[in-house]
Amino acid sequence: MSDLDRAIAQLRACRPIPESDVRELCHKAREILIEEGNVVTVNAPVTICGDIHGQFHDLMELFRVGGDPPDTNYLFMGDFVDRGFYSLETFLLLLCLKVRYPDRMTLIRGNHESRQITTVYGFYDECYRKYGSANVWRYCCDVFDYLALGAIVLGASNTISPSAGESSIPTTPEGDEVEIEVCNAQGEVMSRFPRPNNGTNSDLQSRTNGIPPPSNTGPPGSGASGSSRGTVGNPAGAVLCVHGGLSPLIDKVDKIRLLDRKQEVPHEGAMCDLLWSDPDEIDGWGLSPRGAGFLFGADIVKVFNHRNDLSLIARAHQLVMEGFKEMFDASIVTVWSAPNYCYRCGNVAALLELSEDDSGLGVLARNNGDVNRSDGGGGGGLGESEPQPMKGPARRYRVFQAAPQDSRGMPAKKPVADYFL
Amino acid sequence: MDPTFKPPPPVGSSPTTFPPLPKLEILNPSTLPPHRFLRPAKRINEGPDVSHFLTSKAYRDICVWILQLNHALVPRIIKKSTAAPTTAPKPTDEQKAEANEEPPKDALAAKLQLLRKKRDEQLLPREEIKTFPLPSSREGGLDNQEPESIQKLQRLLKKVEAIIDEAPPDPGPRRFGNVSFRTWYKLLESRADGLLREYLPGGVLRWEGAGTTKEERQNKEEEEGTETETETETEGESDKKTNEQKPEVVGPLEELKAYFLGGFGSAQRLDYGTGHELSFMMFLGGLWKLGGFEGEENDEDGEVERRIVLGVVEPYLRVIRRLILTYTLEPAGSHGVWGLDDHSFIPYIFGSAQYTRPISSPNEPTPLEGSVPNAPKPSDITKATAVERYRTENMYFSAIGFINDVKKGPFWEHSPILFDVSGIKDGWGKINKGMIKMFNAEVLSKFPVVQHFPFGSLFQWEKDPEAGVPVQSVHMQNQPVASAASAAVTGGVGIPTERPSGPGGVTGTAAPWAQAPAQAPGAGAGMPPPMTAAPWARSSGAGVGPSTANRFTPFKPSGGPGGAPNTGPPPPESFPSGTPGTASNQFAVTKAPWAK
Repeated sequence: MSDLDRAIAQLRACRPIPESDVRELCHKAREILIEEGNVVTVNAPVTICGDIHGQFHDLMELFRVGGDPPDTNYLFMGDFVDRGFYSLETFLLLLCLKVRYPDRMTLIRGNHESRQITTVYGFYDECYRKYGSANVWRYCCDVFDYLALGAIVLGASNTISPSAGESSIPTTPEGDEVEIEVCNAQGEVMSRFPRPNNGTNSDLQSRTNGIPPPSNTGPPGSGASGSSRGTVGNPAGAVLCVHGGLSPLIDKVDKIRLLDRKQEVPHEGAMCDLLWSDPDEIDGWGLSPRGAGFLFGADIVKVFNHRNDLSLIARAHQLVMEGFKEMFDASIVTVWSAPNYCYRCGNVAALLELSEDDSGLGVLARNNGDVNRSDGGGGGGLGESEPQPMKGPARRYRVFQAAPQDSRGMPAKKPVADYFL
Repeated sequence: MDPTFKPPPPVGSSPTTFPPLPKLEILNPSTLPPHRFLRPAKRINEGPDVSHFLTSKAYRDICVWILQLNHALVPRIIKKSTAAPTTAPKPTDEQKAEANEEPPKDALAAKLQLLRKKRDEQLLPREEIKTFPLPSSREGGLDNQEPESIQKLQRLLKKVEAIIDEAPPDPGPRRFGNVSFRTWYKLLESRADGLLREYLPGGVLRWEGAGTTKEERQNKEEEEGTETETETETEGESDKKTNEQKPEVVGPLEELKAYFLGGFGSAQRLDYGTGHELSFMMFLGGLWKLGGFEGEENDEDGEVERRIVLGVVEPYLRVIRRLILTYTLEPAGSHGVWGLDDHSFIPYIFGSAQYTRPISSPNEPTPLEGSVPNAPKPSDITKATAVERYRTENMYFSAIGFINDVKKGPFWEHSPILFDVSGIKDGWGKINKGMIKMFNAEVLSKFPVVQHFPFGSLFQWEKDPEAGVPVQSVHMQNQPVASAASAAVTGGVGIPTERPSGPGGVTGTAAPWAQAPAQAPGAGAGMPPPMTAAPWARSSGAGVGPSTANRFTPFKPSGGPGGAPNTGPPPPESFPSGTPGTASNQFAVTKAPWAK
């Protein structure tokens, strides 16, 4: 058993590892993360998760519901730390798994993976309390700077894969393709939704026809339109995963790739927006009440997806009581993975499973590095196809609740803060 | 009895040796030139301004006021003969105290205690300890025993609370914070003048006419009127407002109103936090300064202050808790489990004072350790039954009780700071001391908390000539100062126009570096928040209909957020404060700590 496996075992038991081990782990993690592009390419099957916020026991519940790593590929969309009691154990475990199974774990950066935010919202206090110094916080923050800003999921299937659990609902009538399946924590299907019929599609199409054609795509065959679609089999379109949302400074995924991400999250600019923005029922762009990032409307998402050959944007960043929420004709979905957030919100959590395309058209090799990034689908053009929203991949949501608490004993009281000495 | 209880110092150390403790100055209405009231304005615009704040007269007054109230709640040792006629003791408490004394753990301690007791009895014949629990029968609401000023404020709070019935929570689907809180707040805002005029203690009215001429006041009022109109577009309320606006409205009410309205959360962000709590405390401090509490001149031992805390602050907290529950108000700037409490701080200060070791003279400083006999142990806060028992008499337990009401999960996990404090061995005095220190560092010294605090004539931004250098804590060093840098980068627009509104009325969201949106959010932005229809349900096109196509913002806009240089803070119209944007509608949304 390697040191890493031992660390994983210890962290799975929710016990922090020694400071020196953290230092080594963070060093290794940085070496791996530095090789990743700003937008990581990930192949289906993959399970996409939203905010965790240090709710370690609920992360264990998530693994129970979604399958243990490395058997299940995971993509976490940031906000591992702050607010919860176990940010440290949560982040270190995810980081260990990343180092141990780099191709099966994808971690992207959330707005809380930042020095300034963690000093305000708890992670700093937690590290100080658990180690008596800020060293571990510093090591972790250095890793934050290397986390990717987004991910592109390729090769997701149009059809839902057979559910592992037992179905409590009879399968849909033949011919109806299942687009969305919602399961509970036991794997039982709670509801299924067939793809809308053609009528709806044309309705959709007529609506989007009012949108002027995008102006920034290159001509067919040029580098700018090196499409993954139609050549390597990506029938469902690519899925962009990002913590917050879009930025008015980013009209194409390739522009994300040009950012210099290895820094503290700035207060403004594209990198900030990707981690801070929220979709909202507005037209165009709006100011965000958060004081960072922007609000963006359905029109922005649809044009962005269209221009970038995306069928869906998956993001986190906002509590949703039902665990997930699709907006704007399913062009964007919010996934939230912290049940009963802050011990009081009463919300359920969700994860999103995208299954592998089994149409035989072939799938791109997984590539964590920078090589051949243009195959990532992000730069896809539209020249050769009609401007209409792509059929999204089939989506299975697993909804789960907070982990039971009976197993957690009361710890000894810790020395109190300086104020009380 | 708390094992760490330290007996009071022998009475031989004469009570008269203590110098008088500082109290918040009561202004004299007959001094010349007459006091000039100023409309409170935001002054803390960026991180470094907090340092100035910590040396300001306002900061000095805040500290004096909080400590003055705190000291009044510390139990007293009173000689029975003198105490009986003047004060109205709650006999049951003392009797209980004597009857229920816990047997000590071992024989030696028992002997020691007995000896001490005997000695104490010899030294202090006929002494009793007086504690100051919350009044027990609060259900009826008003306490006729209270002086008129307190009763009036209690009625004021009743009126404020009753507005909840006029703004029932929106039953529709939502993310978290209930948008009906905006309705509630608008009603409060529109009625504030009338309510304050009706319920402010009479002494304050002495100040009407001071400082400003009638003409000036009317102009002021009109200005204010139009501002509220533009910010809150609600039909119907403006009529009410004009009804209640009488020409005699004068300066002091306006100044007090900023602190009053600031005490009830943010309508825009649907949140509530310690900054709002502080605002209400200083509303009371302002009343004190203006001589609003009668009987103060004959009060040597904090009776007036006690009535303020037990008779007004706790009822205020109850209104706040009801608001939080009704509208699921988000904890402003929640630190999650790493904050003391999601919403409150002040009950932990005053509640620990209620259980602190008793003092024997009015000017004896607040003890820094020890508990009053018969106080629950600090560790009792982790026991649900003890919390239920004490939450009706003590503000600390009352606050813990509210946490237990709203949070699920192990207490030590969701409230680790309070859990750790419950392990303190040196009694409630130690806890009280720590809470005050922590309040200074985590509330008064934090930019996100105090940034909305307004400064006027009662609480002044001017430097206190006697102020020392503020002590830098770890958190103060780490707190955001970058907004200043950011403002510099974006062209020095760091200081937005000073909004005269109190903390409640601030639009709040306009980070100075945030660039004006390419276009103002259209009609869609004013619509109710999106239905949380089944997420899989196909939208029938709301928000993406043909109108959307027309409003579509092309990329590379010439004057848009993309490339345009910052043109300064966006005009308020570009983001109506009432916009029920869904992003602002949710629980514990992370705000940029540098956001204004």
